[in-house]
Amino acid sequence: MMSAAPAPLSAELRKAFLPNRIVSSKAMQILIAAQIAIALLIWWRSPFEVLPRPDEVARALGSLWMNQGLGRELWISFTSNLEALAITVVIALVLSYLTVLPVMRPVVTAVSKGRFIGLTGLTFLFTLIFGGGHPLKISLLVFGMSVFFITSMASVVAAIPREKFDYARSLRMSEWQVVWEVVVLGTADQAIEVLRQNAAMGWMMLTMVESISRSEGGVGAMLLNQNKHFHLAEVFAIQILILIVGMLQDYGIAFTKRLLCPYSVLTLERQ
Amino acid sequence: MICEYRETVLKATNVSLTLGGNVILRDLNLEIRDLYRPAYVTGQVVGLLGPSGIGKTRLFRILAGIDRPDTGEVLVGEKCEPVKRGMVGVVAQNYPLFEHRTVAGNVELAARAAGLDRNAAREKALSYLQRFGLEDRAGLYPCQLSGGQRQRVAIAQQFLCSEHFVLMDEPFSGLDLIAVEQVCKLIAEVAHAHELNTVIVVTHDIAAAVTVADTLWLLGRDRDEQGKIIPGARVKKSYNLAEMDLAWRTGVSETKEFIEVVREIRSVFPSL
Repeated sequence: MMSAAPAPLSAELRKAFLPNRIVSSKAMQILIAAQIAIALLIWWRSPFEVLPRPDEVARALGSLWMNQGLGRELWISFTSNLEALAITVVIALVLSYLTVLPVMRPVVTAVSKGRFIGLTGLTFLFTLIFGGGHPLKISLLVFGMSVFFITSMASVVAAIPREKFDYARSLRMSEWQVVWEVVVLGTADQAIEVLRQNAAMGWMMLTMVESISRSEGGVGAMLLNQNKHFHLAEVFAIQILILIVGMLQDYGIAFTKRLLCPYSVLTLERQ
Repeated sequence: MICEYRETVLKATNVSLTLGGNVILRDLNLEIRDLYRPAYVTGQVVGLLGPSGIGKTRLFRILAGIDRPDTGEVLVGEKCEPVKRGMVGVVAQNYPLFEHRTVAGNVELAARAAGLDRNAAREKALSYLQRFGLEDRAGLYPCQLSGGQRQRVAIAQQFLCSEHFVLMDEPFSGLDLIAVEQVCKLIAEVAHAHELNTVIVVTHDIAAAVTVADTLWLLGRDRDEQGKIIPGARVKKSYNLAEMDLAWRTGVSETKEFIEVVREIRSVFPSL
């Protein structure tokens, strides 16, 4: 029996303009390349004179990397973000899973409301508690990410239907075994997805936190410094670098999710 | 057909339940006894019929030991022990499984829950997968299974964990006629694999229940002298299909007696 011939690329690309269609990976690569090219072209031909051009940004990136230690600053920020993320994951997951205990629910609800509080206003309090420098930076980041992480994960836990608990109970599981199987393992894929969102938020907060606590440096402090002197090409270069690192981190976490929780993507239409 | 009733395998006595001021179940009594047929291994299949909203699911949860009744008790097994969670398997309507575990992992987990060590649980899980025709699906995740396969995994899991008792909630819901026949066949196979196996099928599909069961209970509410409904369901009528020679027969659904029983139940259903 002959296998069906693959659709021509033009037909694949036409499908990209129809709703709920799946295109081949090659067609998707072409679409991404075309969209990046269009974005670069718009940037290059931008009527805003003050906006640095791509070549200027590329030169600024080279200069920052070679002469001003951008690599070292990026490493400081990257490791700080990872450290804060690790602490956040532990705190947020433990608190979210503990919402199975009614006594913990008011506490977790109160913590989740912390997302309405600005970090800047908390700096003084956090400086008193943690001192300055690295601990201050990490504590601010952990606070900033935890409140969002806890909110999302507590909602995931609260949304588990009763039938899943009953099902686990019907298998002679104790209530703590039910928590492990249904709440912890059963929501692992969603926890990784929440982690992915919060890891991205971490980068957004990092630049702000590093501008509050500058003693350790980092790309945030560097960004603020370049912004202060109106070095727009350098500002763009740092932002683009953060974007690239953030995207790589995002792909890394998504890959980990596929690896650890393959079942979570098996029935998706776009697979 | 020659058969005799032996020891009690499940008994509910004076079970009552009130929720939010509404009486759901009232002084409900039922008993399942081991059905013995010489030269056959015969498990028990009991159909629990009743209109929607009558309290079937609540009774189901009580019989499974998930919920406790306000009064009365449920005893199960040869030793007639008070029911606890896990003693009676539960196959819910949409066959929930642990989506993060493979089919083999799901069945193995049930074997572990039944008290087996890791190696024994793995062996037992494999033997159950073979018995239920699922050995080639062992490495798949539940989301990759068809509805029928999910149902088989769920039944295998519950029998592994609870040994002999399984409650099935609406197993015929949303199935076409051929699929209903297949599920009836599966229930019969599972029930008659061991003398003490007992499957209680909670359903509102009268024909399917008469096809597969040896006993039928009709859940309904009484009425007072003015014809008003007295709150609280109980078993209003039962049919011993074994004594009526309607159980364990191939092609029973074609017989006149079968059609008459189905018609009779249909006629009393609205008044339940």
